[in-house]
Order: sequence, then C-alpha cells, then structure tokens
Amino acid sequence: MLATGAAGVGLSTLSPAAHAAERPRGSGRTFQHGVASGDPLPRSVVLWTRVTPTAAAAPGSGRGPSVVVEWEVATDRRFRRIVRRGRVRTGPHRDHTVKVDADGLRPDTWYHYRFRLGRRVSPVGRTRTAPPAASTPDRVRLGVVSCANLQAGWFSAYRALAGREDLDAVVHLGDYLYEYGPGEYGYGHDDVDIRPHQPPHETLVLADYRQRHAQYKQDPDLQALHARYPWIVTWDDHEVTNDQWSGGAENHQPGEGDYAARRAQAHRAYDEWMPVRMEGTARLGDGDRLFRRIRFGRLAELSMLDLRTYRSQQVAGALPLPGLDPAVSDPARTITGEEQMAWLKESLADDRAQWKVIGNPVMIAPVDFGAVPRQLIDPVNDVTGLLPADGVAYNVDQWDGYTADRREVLTHIRDRGVSGALFITGDIHSAWAAELPYDAATYPLGDSAGVEFVCSSVTSNNLKDVLGAPPRTASLAVEAAIVANNRHVRFLDFDNHGFCVLDLTPQRAQMDWYVIGDRADRATPVTWSRSLQTRAGSSRITEANGPVQ
Amino acid sequence: MTEHPTPFERGLTEVATGRRTLLRAGATGLAFSVAGGGGFVAQSAAAAAARPRTRLRRRRRAYVLVIDGCRPDELDQGLTPRLAALRDGGLAFPRAASLPVMETIPNHVMMMSGVRPDRTGVPANSVYDRAEGDVRTLDRPTDLRGATLLDRLAANGLRTGSVLSKEYLYGIFGTRATYRWEPQPTLPVTEHAPDAFTVQAAIDMVDTFDPHLVFVNLGDIDRFGHSDLTGPLGLKALRRTALADTDLLVGRFVDHLRRTGRWDRSMLLVLADHSMDWSTPDRVVSLARPFAADPLLAGQVQIADNGGADLLYWTGDPARRAEAVARMQAVASTVPGVLATYATTEPSLRLGPEAGDVIAYCQAGWRFSDPTLLANPIPGNHGHPATEPIPFFVTGGHPSLPRGTVSSRRARTVDVAPTVGEFLGLRAPSGGYDGRSRLRRR
Repeated sequence: MLATGAAGVGLSTLSPAAHAAERPRGSGRTFQHGVASGDPLPRSVVLWTRVTPTAAAAPGSGRGPSVVVEWEVATDRRFRRIVRRGRVRTGPHRDHTVKVDADGLRPDTWYHYRFRLGRRVSPVGRTRTAPPAASTPDRVRLGVVSCANLQAGWFSAYRALAGREDLDAVVHLGDYLYEYGPGEYGYGHDDVDIRPHQPPHETLVLADYRQRHAQYKQDPDLQALHARYPWIVTWDDHEVTNDQWSGGAENHQPGEGDYAARRAQAHRAYDEWMPVRMEGTARLGDGDRLFRRIRFGRLAELSMLDLRTYRSQQVAGALPLPGLDPAVSDPARTITGEEQMAWLKESLADDRAQWKVIGNPVMIAPVDFGAVPRQLIDPVNDVTGLLPADGVAYNVDQWDGYTADRREVLTHIRDRGVSGALFITGDIHSAWAAELPYDAATYPLGDSAGVEFVCSSVTSNNLKDVLGAPPRTASLAVEAAIVANNRHVRFLDFDNHGFCVLDLTPQRAQMDWYVIGDRADRATPVTWSRSLQTRAGSSRITEANGPVQ
Repeated sequence: MTEHPTPFERGLTEVATGRRTLLRAGATGLAFSVAGGGGFVAQSAAAAAARPRTRLRRRRRAYVLVIDGCRPDELDQGLTPRLAALRDGGLAFPRAASLPVMETIPNHVMMMSGVRPDRTGVPANSVYDRAEGDVRTLDRPTDLRGATLLDRLAANGLRTGSVLSKEYLYGIFGTRATYRWEPQPTLPVTEHAPDAFTVQAAIDMVDTFDPHLVFVNLGDIDRFGHSDLTGPLGLKALRRTALADTDLLVGRFVDHLRRTGRWDRSMLLVLADHSMDWSTPDRVVSLARPFAADPLLAGQVQIADNGGADLLYWTGDPARRAEAVARMQAVASTVPGVLATYATTEPSLRLGPEAGDVIAYCQAGWRFSDPTLLANPIPGNHGHPATEPIPFFVTGGHPSLPRGTVSSRRARTVDVAPTVGEFLGLRAPSGGYDGRSRLRRR
C-alpha cells in the first residue's frame, strides 16, 4: 500500500514482510528465527541466528543435539567475495542460539552474512560496520523504536523501517518484548490479544523467556528489520518484568520466586537471543553489563543506558501526590548506579564526538502535569506511568523520580561546557520533543543542557487506546495542558504508534516521527507525522521543513 | 613614568622618542602607529632567511574578528543575523573551544602564535609574577615569548595590522603588527574602546594600509556581559543589546570589504576567545580564607584570580612544593563552588610555569573572588570549563574557501594562526604549530 502523510510524504509500497531476508530453499525450519546483527564497530559486528536442528530442539526445551554452525561474511549478496568465515558450536545449553563477533572487517562498509547447518543455509542478512573513530562522516541515520507488544498488534513500524534504504542502524530503546500472558496486556481498552503470547502465561523462568524471545523472533516484520540493518539495543523493564528496579519489580509477586534469579534468567535469555555485546563481548555468561558506547566517527557517539539493573526502588509516595515525597530528590537514591553515572559523564566529555546521543530508556525531561483535567489523570497514569496531581509533577519511574541523578547529569553538562547532548528515549508510548532546562521554573530564561526526542510505541497502548477515544480528541486537552505547564516541551503526541528516524549531520540533529494506522491491521498505512531538529550548539528545538529523504 | 608603564604611557614614550609615527587615517582621523621593528621581528626575519622561502600569497587578505566573550548559542537567537549568515555561508565548527585558561589575553596570544601557553609564557590574564612579587596583568610586550603571525608575516614582507579594543591586548602585542590602532576612546572601568570605534578603526586601517592580515578584537559583548546584572536571571538585557549592535557593525565591516572589492580576495575568520557565564553575589568562591586557616598554606600561597579560575602559587619552601600542591588541591576541593583542581604540570593543560602550581576551576554559575570576597563584584565571568564553547567559522569571498559547510572537528583558538598561515602561504614557525589549519575538511 502507498501511504501519504499530511505533508504529502509517501513511503514505499510495501506488503507485510516484503523486505524479509532472502530465504534460501530449505532454510525455513532450521533458521525459523531469522538472522540478525548488532553493535557495529569499525572492524567488527555481532552476527546472530538460532538453529532448530531437530523438531525436539524447540526454544526453551533444553533438548536437541549439539551442532556446529558455519558463518560467512561477504561483500556481495551472492557471496562471491567472502571476507570472513568461521564455525561455532551451539546446543541446548544456549537454546541453540548462535552469536559471533565477526572481526577483521573494513570500517564503514556494507556486508552480507549467512549461516549454514550442514547443507541448510540461513536467510542472508545485511549489516554495516561503523566508520573509523577519527573519521568525520557527513551523516548518520538511525531508525529509532521502542515498546513493541506483540499481543497489541502487528509490527508495522518494523515493516516500514525495513523498507527504507537510507539507514545505518536501528536503535531499540527497550521493551523489545513483554512478559505478560494472554489477556493481561493487549490491544486497547479491553486488552484484546491480536496475537496471544507464547508461552501462554507470564514469563518467570529461563524457558519462558526463551520461548517469548523465540515467538517475537518469528514475527516476519521484526525478522525483516533485523536482517536489513544492525541493531543497537538496550532494555527497559519488560524484558524482565514491569517497573523493575535493582531489587524487585511491580510485576513480581512473592509467589513468583526469587526476583534476582528471575532477572538473571531473563538476562541470560536476552544475551542468548539478542545481537548485542553484554559485558563488552558476544560470549554468554561473562556478565550482564549492557551500558556501552557505539561510535560513528567524530560525528556521533551513541551511549546506551541500562536504567533498570542498578536503580533504587521507585518512590511509592502517598497517592495522589507521590511526587511530593521528598525521596524523589534523595541523593542516596539512583537511577543509573554509581559506576554507570561515572561512565555516562565520560560519554558526555566534549573531546569525544560532536553529538553525544544517549540511548535513554526512560524520559529525562521534567514533566509537570499541574493542570491536567482531573477526569483524565487516571488514563494518563495508565499509559505513561505518570502520577500527576494538582500542581505536582513527577513520574517516579523515570528521571522525575530520581531528580538528584538528573541534576548530577545536567550539572555536569553545564559545568563542563558540554554541547551536543541529545537524549533519545522510549518507554512512555507517546511522542515528545523537549529541551532540557537547568531551571524549568524560569525557562525559557536560562539555558538548556540539550534536547530529548522521545519515540512512540511500536504497538503498546497509548492514551487514546486506554480511553477508547477516537484519535486527536480526548488527548488534545492533556497535551495542551502539559505543553502549557512545561515551556520546554515543544511537541507531544499521546495518540499515535510508530517509529522515528534520527538523522545526524554536523549541522543539526533531526528527528522524524512516523505513525501507523490501526495496529490490528497487518497492512496498516504508515505516514509521516512531524519533524523537529536541534541545531549544533543550540540545545534548542526548531521546526524542520520535512522528513529526511 | 612608573617602572611598569601602562600601554598608554608606553605610547606616549614612543611618540616622544620618535619611534612611533602618528598617521592620520580616514575621515575620523584615527591614530595608528607603525612598527619600528622589534627584536622579535628581526629574529623572525633571520629565521625565515635560514629556511627555504615561503610562497606567500600576496594578493590575499585575511581578517580575524574576535567577538570577545560570545557564546556559540547566541548566534541562533535572532539577534545576530549578519553573523549567523556569515557562519552559515562558510565553514563552521560547532564544537569549537577556548583553551585554558579561558581568558582573553592567553587565547588571543594562542590565536596569533598558534602555540600553547607553555611556549608563549602567557597562560592567563592575571598571574603572580614571582620576580616582582605581585599579582599583575600580562599586558607587556615582553610577557609574550616567541613569534606571532603579526611579526612573522611582517618579517616576510607582508603588512599586518592590529585593531584591538582592549588596552591590555594592545599592550601585550606591542609593536608586533606593522600597523597598530591604539584603542581610543576607552571607557573607564572596562578599559576598552566601544565596538563602534573599533570597527571604524578597522575600516580605516583597511582603507589606509590594506594589511594582508588584520587582527580585530571587538570587546562590547564581553564587557557588557561582565557587567550585566540580569545575566544570572537569564535575561541578559545588556548583553542582548550588545549582540545586536555588534552584529550590525560586523555587517558594516563586511559590506565595506565587498564595496571596496576586497571580499573576493579575502578570508574572514570569526571566533570568540572564550564564552561567558553568570553568577549571583552569593555564589562566590574565595580560597584565600581557607588557605589562611591551613597550617601549611597560611601566608605561603599567592592567588591570581581569573574570574572562573584561580591560579595558585606556592611561595614557601621549594622543598615542600609537592606537599603544598597536594594540600592546596585538597583544601580547595572542599570549598563550595569549586569544580576541580589540577596541578599545572598536568600535561594536557600546557600552561607553563607562569601559571603557578595549581589551577582551580569554579562550577558554572559561580565565580572566584580573591583575595577577598569583594574583590570580584562582576556577575559575568569566564575562565572555567563552562566557558569553553565558542563560535568559530571561516568565511569570505576567496574562491578557495569552503562554503556552506559544517565540520565535526573540534576547532580551538590555537588553530587560528595555522589556518591564516595556510591561507596566506606562510610556513609553520620553528618548532611547528600546536594548532592545526581548519581549512582542510578531513
């Protein structure tokens, strides 16, 4: 279908999964979870697949033979010029996943890769290495996504991104999958399951998480996007369970076993199933440190945060005024943890790259919900986890609930004269653009530390879904109230699902928001919504003429 | 005359001794002086003679405009349309930075010399002069070691001119330029000439002598920023007025270059020497008092206050210097408002011995006031890391110059000399530059 946005911007005609990886005959059963790549460095990239050598080797089963899988990297899609190859053993101990750190590659280069198990050959994936660290690229362009609940609908956002030819990588900011069982969290106000989760219950143990990853990896649109571009991922809460913190989670009950054990198993499954370097390597079991940097020459460096593993428990507070709990500003509480905070400050050093892009799972801009109509407060909470009340301004699950850490980051930016701080964020199923004032009360007098662009959800419910209201009706009052109370917020869309494209040049950083139609329609149209940019050195947001082409 | 005369007093002396020629220039009758050939010029000429001849580009003209104290974000606030247009039409460096100490004199010296303070002897505006036993401004020609573009170009037969709005800049560059404008009339307290006079002087300098390089400092934005009491509130009323006024004057200068046919042969390099930060009267740091309370440091430390940075000098037993450096850092780091301290021997700082033993930076929104809390009453300050970002762009009509380009590279004030040097075809100095030409994109 051809979708045309309000400004007449059309996307390519795509059928669902039209850009799925080239799939050789006979690869279907053995390589049914597709191929993927991630964490591109100038000379290496992580390659991933999962094999199903026998019918018994089902995900999470712990069964099936140990096998040797071959991998190849070539500069052409027909594999006439193979530049790297190798063999790796996998088996039930790692759920038959394969993860290789293919090195010895050339910087800033497109490659094709594939796997073999005996005579069976995987689909061909395409990936790209990062530019040399000292280079000065003219442009880096990234797809940006978050919050993809399979039960809530089809991944049309992934489909549209897979149809683009102009990206360097895809950034996933968390909630790649959800832990809930069928009927617990789905499509709209009534939680209809467009596609029920497997296993058919909340994920609690390693086998559950492996099966859930396997189910998501069988989605054709997700497979297509994985095969098309390298991904750079971080997790938010649902990769383990809702509102997780270092010692527990809202959605972890006493009868569900030890939380630390549950999290360790969720992290193990993530390490097995995602094309990511944890603890700096593609090896399994050597640690679960996820915060890391991916550099694109001198133009940009992407610092991916983990804001769940080290954080203090969210403030409970007394409803409806949890934000008044002084603990939100207690410097003893943290959202980053001490080590990651020091690392983040290093990421913000001005001698690194021009754009310090922070892959930020939860929003950092302060949000004051003071004048939101009372009847809309609960639905807003339901979508965003924000906890507004009369004149009170805190979402205690994001940086608003850890204001000492936020102050430390922003003060560091100001003290060190850092320019080019750009936070890209997911989590709250809505689209935002905000400047980051040092003092929100007096802004726009005073300066801004940088800019935050927030992408909407791929499918997870937003405000109109929870209200059961038509788009651009009830949400408008909320959006207007928030923008009026927060002069640093330049854009807010509570109603749409979709994805973003972040385009970085030495002159400016531009975010394009794209929205999808009905999530229940696998062929739903995709349209351009809004484009905003921040000029280098300005820390302010301005309108862009239109999306990048 | 005193033992250490002011620039004005030195000027009078030059006139009296006949070493200075006053020229009537342009309709305004501004006074310029002509270099009599200092020792450094002769030295540069001798050095040049010993090396292969440079292929100088004599038809080209280079103009370096320093918008003193301007912040890069101020060019996008609608107040400076001419500067913004010049930036957007040229080669811009949004990551550009001032270098330690982020003060006027050292950064102007780095611009013209292309080397860091450990090679020029000029690390800050204010230092403690151990020989004289006093804290003083580095405004004497003898304070600046080595050659600068102003004298190296002159030694190679090209004309250079300096139009510097601040008396201490006029002082430290001495007679290095072939033609020099003595800032006048200067305002009391600020000791700078308003931009309206400075730009007129630059235009007259161009018309009268047509130097191959003109080095211009426009001081209004800095001076009004220093004194802007609305700065800490974010309003910056005086500052905003100055930005708009200076923008008009820069436009006037550029229009004049175009009108007189020079633009197509010219490179215009526009930058600031540092940016600006504001503090309220309650956010003031004084290290003198905690040092006086320390048994080791009491009476043994001299402080040169540079607004956002204090330079600390151990004056006690040299054998205890290492111990004292550690103690100064330890004590200073406990004082509210202090961001960080470093031993000046830290290699990346490249400050040299004139900077003393320790440098202390304040946090954004604070200022140093030493030796007393009343010593520094002005709200606008710089010298600390918050004031590193600067505008920096190369524009001009010469066909060799990049147009409409933005670079991710991190230009610095020390890059000015190699950039101008490359444009005019001047070789690097003996020992090479510490900066890099920014005319090459990659």
